[in-house]
Amino acid sequence: MTPKDKGHEAITSTDQELVLSSLEPEQLAGLKKHLIPRRHLKGPEKFVMWSLRIYLLFMIVVVIYQVWASAH
Amino acid sequence: MNLGPLSRLTQRGVGQQDVVITHEDVDRAHDRVRVSAARAQRGPFSKFRLLWLLVGPGILVMLGENDGPSMISYAATGAKFGIGFFLPFVILTFCMAIVVQEMTMRLGSATHRGHAELIFDRFGPFWGWFSMIDLGIGNFLTLITEFIAIRAGLGFFGVPPWAAVLSALVFLCLAVMMHRYWTWERTLLAIAAFNLIFVPVALLTHPHWDSVGHALITWRPLPGFSQDTLIIILADIGATVTPWMLFFQQSATVDKGLTTKDIHLGRFDTVLGAALAATAAVATIIATAPLFVHHMTADNFQGAEFAQALQPLIGRFGAALFALGIVEAGMVASVTISISSAYAFGEVVHRPHSLNLPVTQGKSFYSVLFLLAATGGAIVLIPGLPLVYVVLLVNVVAVLAMPPALVFLFMLANDREVMGDLVSPLWANILATCVVVFLTLAGVLFGVSVIAPKAFAFLGGN
Repeated sequence: MTPKDKGHEAITSTDQELVLSSLEPEQLAGLKKHLIPRRHLKGPEKFVMWSLRIYLLFMIVVVIYQVWASAH
Repeated sequence: MNLGPLSRLTQRGVGQQDVVITHEDVDRAHDRVRVSAARAQRGPFSKFRLLWLLVGPGILVMLGENDGPSMISYAATGAKFGIGFFLPFVILTFCMAIVVQEMTMRLGSATHRGHAELIFDRFGPFWGWFSMIDLGIGNFLTLITEFIAIRAGLGFFGVPPWAAVLSALVFLCLAVMMHRYWTWERTLLAIAAFNLIFVPVALLTHPHWDSVGHALITWRPLPGFSQDTLIIILADIGATVTPWMLFFQQSATVDKGLTTKDIHLGRFDTVLGAALAATAAVATIIATAPLFVHHMTADNFQGAEFAQALQPLIGRFGAALFALGIVEAGMVASVTISISSAYAFGEVVHRPHSLNLPVTQGKSFYSVLFLLAATGGAIVLIPGLPLVYVVLLVNVVAVLAMPPALVFLFMLANDREVMGDLVSPLWANILATCVVVFLTLAGVLFGVSVIAPKAFAFLGGN
């Protein structure tokens, strides 16, 4: 890999060598812009995620009701 | 270069021209050079030095979670129920926290990606935004409670609310203005160690060690089964496992630059943090247990009131230590929670997000951090806000938001495409499933107690 400096004058070639020799490729801030491929969710996974989402929304309503009841 | 489990995914289609070196990388590389040097050394101190270099995120997340509302929840627990069931129960909740946080540390070390980033990339923006909304609301509410704790704690020393909030914001600025993850982490670790201030406070109450030992072994005396007990149970769970912890430890692990080689010591870091935090939590319950013995009502106590109530028993010095402990808890957590939000925001919008960044290169990161903190601080100054109720409620909301967050974590930690051979072992999956089921059931029971009190009474509650 050939590193390319993007206008940061303080980064020297020594710095670049240091970075490339001591960090793993995915640790480079610049490489994090590349997305990790999307995962295809299976039916049971979607079911669990939707169930918990509904659970959370329902419980939030319960908490709001509890606050309202306490206030009165 | 060493290749991590994500390499085959991230390297696809990435050309040489894409590699950009930043200051953030250079700072992280310097840290990694020190770690490599310590790992290569032989001798009695080399392992200790390696440990010293690698600990941080685990201790910070655990002591950070011993935040203002958590310490107030523990104090309320001791004052309401004394020494008994809740001592071992709180230790159990920290064991749950270890199971959960170990997964985030492993994910961060293996993927070098933050939690929000991974959720968005792997599950898409639909689920990603759900997760971010949970985090954003939870973090903001929790941040408000940190300022409540700071205000209450400093109020014990006669500091007016506006000065308390201002001092917390100044502390936050000083803490993050070091522009170096390593310096920030070491400074905050030193301050977070003051969480153990509750240990001398507990000792000043001259606890009955026989009762403490008996409670730890037998889990007795048991509390009555009522909605109050349930709220305290949920508040104590929410005091140890909350969504922001998942996001914070994974992002901090990435920012620190931990790799798969560091996972063993990362686990040690997490367990050590949990042990320290559990010690402080148990000490707080023991410290306020005399209020239970003296039948003092602590329903509307905010922290400073606990200190005042304890003053006749442990003296002005002990009470001042208690109040300082509440302030410290709020200060440290206000930093970690703000940073957790800023990390997540940067990961989602793909803006630079690191404590190694100078302000000029991390404008969005630092803006989100300060904006959240300043708004949270301002809300606390609104006259007539029911602060105590907000504090207990925030911990309850945190518990309710945990199961969906844990399912994302569970699926990511078992995703062989991103984790490679570092997917969760069977025992970790069983424990994590138990944690999800336990938290969900606790939430459901709370719901039943609120909307169907008769059904709750049928179950034995009152």
